[in-house]
Amino acid sequence: MNLKQFYKLLLFAFLVPVFSSCFEVVEEISMRNNGTGDVVLTINLSQSKTKVASVMLLDSVQGYKVPSKQKIQQELAEAVAYLKKSEGISNVKSTADFNNYIATISFTFKDVSNINNITKNILTQQKIKATNTSSYSFNKTTKTFSRKYQAVGTAKTEFNKLKSKDKAVFNGATYTSIYRFESPVASTSNPSSKLSKSSKAVMLKSNITDLINGKMNVSNQIQLSK
Amino acid sequence: MFPIKYNYQNKMKNILIAISLLFLAKFTYAQDLVKKIPANAFTVATIKGDNVFKLMFVKDFNESFVVKKLLTETSKSLDKEFTSIEDFGINLEKNMYYFNQLSDSITYNCFLIPLKNAAKFESLINDKDKKFKTEGAIKTMILPDSTSIIKWNNDMMYFITGSIRSSFFADSTNSARYGIKEIRYQNNYDDVAIADSAMVAVDSTMVVTAEPAIEEVIAPPVVKAKTYKNASAKKTSAKNKNKKQPAKKKAAVKPKRNKVVEEIEIGDLPITGERNDVDSAVAAIQNANGDEQYDDYQKKRTEQDAKKKQLVFVWMTAQADKIFNTSYESIENNKSYAASLDDKAIAEVWVSSLQDVYNSIVPEFGTYGKTGLMQGYGSLNAKLFMDKTSFRISTGLELAKDQADAYKKIMNRKLNKNFLKYIDSEKAIGFMGYSIDTKAYLEEFPKLMKQTYGAFLGARMDEEIELGTDLFSLLLDEEAVSKVVKGDALFVINGLNTKEVTFTSYEYDDDYNRKEVTKTKNETLPDFLFMFSSEDNRLMNKLIKYGINKNYVSVNENIYKIEEKKSPIDIYFMIKDGIVFFGNSLAEMQGISNNTYKASISKTHKNLLAKNNFSFLFNAKNLVGKVPNDEIGGEETAKKFNETLGKMGNVYMKSNPIKGNLVSADISAEIPNGHENALKYLFSLIENAAK
Repeated sequence: MNLKQFYKLLLFAFLVPVFSSCFEVVEEISMRNNGTGDVVLTINLSQSKTKVASVMLLDSVQGYKVPSKQKIQQELAEAVAYLKKSEGISNVKSTADFNNYIATISFTFKDVSNINNITKNILTQQKIKATNTSSYSFNKTTKTFSRKYQAVGTAKTEFNKLKSKDKAVFNGATYTSIYRFESPVASTSNPSSKLSKSSKAVMLKSNITDLINGKMNVSNQIQLSK
Repeated sequence: MFPIKYNYQNKMKNILIAISLLFLAKFTYAQDLVKKIPANAFTVATIKGDNVFKLMFVKDFNESFVVKKLLTETSKSLDKEFTSIEDFGINLEKNMYYFNQLSDSITYNCFLIPLKNAAKFESLINDKDKKFKTEGAIKTMILPDSTSIIKWNNDMMYFITGSIRSSFFADSTNSARYGIKEIRYQNNYDDVAIADSAMVAVDSTMVVTAEPAIEEVIAPPVVKAKTYKNASAKKTSAKNKNKKQPAKKKAAVKPKRNKVVEEIEIGDLPITGERNDVDSAVAAIQNANGDEQYDDYQKKRTEQDAKKKQLVFVWMTAQADKIFNTSYESIENNKSYAASLDDKAIAEVWVSSLQDVYNSIVPEFGTYGKTGLMQGYGSLNAKLFMDKTSFRISTGLELAKDQADAYKKIMNRKLNKNFLKYIDSEKAIGFMGYSIDTKAYLEEFPKLMKQTYGAFLGARMDEEIELGTDLFSLLLDEEAVSKVVKGDALFVINGLNTKEVTFTSYEYDDDYNRKEVTKTKNETLPDFLFMFSSEDNRLMNKLIKYGINKNYVSVNENIYKIEEKKSPIDIYFMIKDGIVFFGNSLAEMQGISNNTYKASISKTHKNLLAKNNFSFLFNAKNLVGKVPNDEIGGEETAKKFNETLGKMGNVYMKSNPIKGNLVSADISAEIPNGHENALKYLFSLIENAAK
């Protein structure tokens, strides 16, 4: 531990330790039998709100610039504007709660494949390198919903390049995906996924670090009963 | 030519290694080299060998990681066997010095190193017969490119390097006196001719020849920086002629030149060896291109640069001779310097005056500097102490009498004794206390500002400053303000507390529909307490009333809470017994309110706070293991974090009372248990860091 790191530690010891923060990312897709559906994406930092509120008072933390409330709202608005222009997407809404630090984006799609390029494009637009390949599809005839996910090697490499303190930010962060259907689910291919009591929804929970490291694969092939 | 050059560089490197090593070495009285430092030295830095080697024997020193490495490297590069720092021939019991001297024309940087064994020192030089000449007991070695000189006898080694001030030759009176022309790239030969003839007219005694041999050297006027702007202010017409070529013309020709040429333009000022190399390289390229103009420019420039360099060399030689062969008034007789010394210090730095430092750093400020920016601030000193328990750096600044008196008035307040009831030394992670007399501060502040920065605004602003000062006094009733805020305050963190906080999470029903739920978790936060004395609470009470009416503040008995959602923590405040308290722990506030707050301050902490106008303490040990692992970011990070904190002793700072005209402050860091003394601890730190 060098001197500079030590001073940083000292600073944080006084400020409220900010190293780890728990946050949740929830992705919900409600599919209708006709192939249309709704998406709600939620990022919830409320479990770390003391830390986030403290960090928001700072200009930068651990060498990263802290975005202002205005900046976050602006980025969110940009994402919404982009979605509105995207093919097959309608009913776009977003919320941002700066007391509990929860943000959501929701929209309706004509076909689930409309989503596929959106995430990637938004990330590119925000100058974030998209680090995974993920795609959704729904076959109306066979009533098969499929989520394909391929952890990209570079994500892991990039993540491992981070300092342990920065990695710690992702400790305790979770990713939850929920897919709801109008018909009951007959089978799922991913053993980690759980079926709801009503058999009409599938949930998959994972630690974000496992996702990045490729320990967890969220690919799933869901067969609805015909 | 190149192999020789390489050797020189190598040797230079060795000498530099030796010099840096010297800085780690030791000294005593008997013919202290301070006698050799001229009275007008600007900065003097000392390393006291005897004090250093009291803490660590030479033997331990040699076995330390850093020194071992140094010895091995030196042995390797010189192809000789060095086993001890004593092999470098330095007298480790005496003081080593660095000093510099400033003048309007040249800045000298010098080292004075005591020698014990000159023969051993000479063994550091390869091919010594070729490299240095001997005159009686004095030996001289000129370093490559003639930019520095090393001179020694049996008792001491002197290293000098000089750099000319570019502004000096910008003054044509000076350039003419030394036969230096300012060469600009130009294509108008008529102008050059005019400039040349002007030069000849001004300076009839100086013959400019192709070989820059200056036989009669006018001694450089060694004066303090203060006086020098007078000279630069006098610009004569000759200079203007020389400068006649505007930058536009340069630019017009630029496309013709290649990249290398442009680089030269950038490195316009310093005279260095590299430059000459590039110059000749460029000259070659230019010849090939047939750009005669440029070639001519280069030639002239090289000539002038060589002349300047020759001049620097002659001046340096004269200065070095003076050190060895003549007697003169030494810095010892400078009262300020003498007063700054402390027998127990390991190392000391003394700078003659802050005003001078300022002026020398920004001589181009000329007009401002001359009129005395930072007026009233005298010499500056810093001393390093190391002993069995701690490191300590003590700094001092001399003030003019007016200034010192003003500060004395401002500092004439002690911390409210009642504050001390709220410090729990057993648990306190840190505190900071300060006390000034608000009334005196408000009264003296405008005066101090005027003295310090007045010159910056220019003499013509005097009236406006006066007006501003009066207006300030008129608007502020110093007496009344000082009753609201007396000027003493204390910030203390008495420990960490666990608090339950709520957060939003989700639960899912049978259909995995999301439901928002509120959950709770524990968070560890430092409990801080901030207090200041206030006699007159009327304003505070009005503010509170306003806050309550506007719902910015809520009240519970006599404790107020600030209703600000943005704040990550709750902040409470109250007024009790002439003290305004702020804090983030309701329990602490209640304790203070009903006199059940339990804390006991140690004698050391009491003294630190009560006796000084400013004090600060950080006790890392009280933090060890107090923060739950998962809040620091996992077990591993927490372990490292706690280990580092556990190794730290108390760190504290304090201001000392003004003695005479000297304001001073100390910063100390205690070393952890299990180390013999601070120096050995430092070496162990370096060793650990290098591993």
